[in-house]
Amino acid sequence: MRASNAEWDFMGRSFLVWSLANLGLREPAAKQTYLAVIDQIIDETARLEHERGLYFFLMPYAKARPYEVQPARSLFLDGEIALMLAARRVVEEKPEYKAAMTERIKGIVDRMENNPVPFAESYPNECWMFDHVNALAAIKIADFLDRTDHSALLQSWLALAKRKLVHRETGLLISSFTLKGEPLDGPEGSTIWMVAHGLQLIDEDFARDQYQRARKELGRTLLGFGYAREWPTSWKGPMDIDSGPIVPVLQISAGSSGMAFIGASAFHDDDFLSSLAATLDFAAFPARKNGGLRYCAGNQVGDAALLYAAVQGPLWENVKSRPNR
Amino acid sequence: MNANYRQRWARLWHAEFCSPKDFLRRAAMIGVAFLVAQIAGLREYTSFLSGTVVWAAAGWKLTVFLGLLYLLLYFTIMLLVPILIIAAVVQHLLLRFFSRPKC
Repeated sequence: MRASNAEWDFMGRSFLVWSLANLGLREPAAKQTYLAVIDQIIDETARLEHERGLYFFLMPYAKARPYEVQPARSLFLDGEIALMLAARRVVEEKPEYKAAMTERIKGIVDRMENNPVPFAESYPNECWMFDHVNALAAIKIADFLDRTDHSALLQSWLALAKRKLVHRETGLLISSFTLKGEPLDGPEGSTIWMVAHGLQLIDEDFARDQYQRARKELGRTLLGFGYAREWPTSWKGPMDIDSGPIVPVLQISAGSSGMAFIGASAFHDDDFLSSLAATLDFAAFPARKNGGLRYCAGNQVGDAALLYAAVQGPLWENVKSRPNR
Repeated sequence: MNANYRQRWARLWHAEFCSPKDFLRRAAMIGVAFLVAQIAGLREYTSFLSGTVVWAAAGWKLTVFLGLLYLLLYFTIMLLVPILIIAAVVQHLLLRFFSRPKC
């Protein structure tokens, strides 16, 4: 896994923790079993980051030049770890994690507020929408858990994103940009489905708008088989590590199609979800063993993202339906 | 394998081109090839579709080659084999119908 992409090692952990948190909320009787696994993953991930440094979970090009803001931090890591800690604490409070989460959130907020625009780097002078929305979701849950108030930051980020980070032709949020907010890329399927889901915590209407646009621009169904493109027709982007290999002509992207499950599940788009499931069963080569299921055509992060799509809901609902604790 | 057995096997295997038996024979060959690929674990190599090398030692080229081979056999068995079997059955029935002596 790490031989292909060290990021996937990290994201597989994140999606698994978020999934188990949702399962813990769904099945209170089995909560302690899920929490034990969650804690083990969080502790090991934090230990690896501490011992090996932030580059351990990043792609090699992170070392090509220094981060603009020093000391170097990656919002990719801070945002997802903060969201892991936050999700765990929604299931059940753990004092050690409260301190760890508060420190992460403070670091993220400080970086955003100390920059002229509220953006933070994941890679040197490279900011990712996916990472920002995960970080904002973690901040939102932190407000819910600890009675803090970052609504001004969330609103200013959202206003700026709508103004500067939207692709003109499609109305979709772009996937990456510089620390100053200059676009580096167009809208991307492997980003936007999860972004729309994350935005449900921040701005439900905008989130639904983004999902519907993504569905129109990227979602496809052919003879009952659903799939998703990585790029809309109005943007020409390269095949990369996020998109996975792209099937020519139909422009099927494994990365975007996998993440589309999360969008379709989060927005209750049952028709699209069932057509995606048909494709998964036909062409992703399921392997069932000892009561477990994985997909040979995918990988650890793909399986974890599919699990997340299958069980997501309770965590977000918990935060949205109740006022701050 | 004695000569007698080989002759019987050759007779059984022999089929006229595009005859029902020929269609079934081709379907069987594809089935056997797919079974061998399945038992050999080639299904794992389809991980190349998500840009993942199944084992670091396997390397990218071998993963793509074996993965593509499995894909080819899989889609052949899913799409072509049913057509071959249906064609064999339909042709067999038509041949029987048209070769029946007229009253």
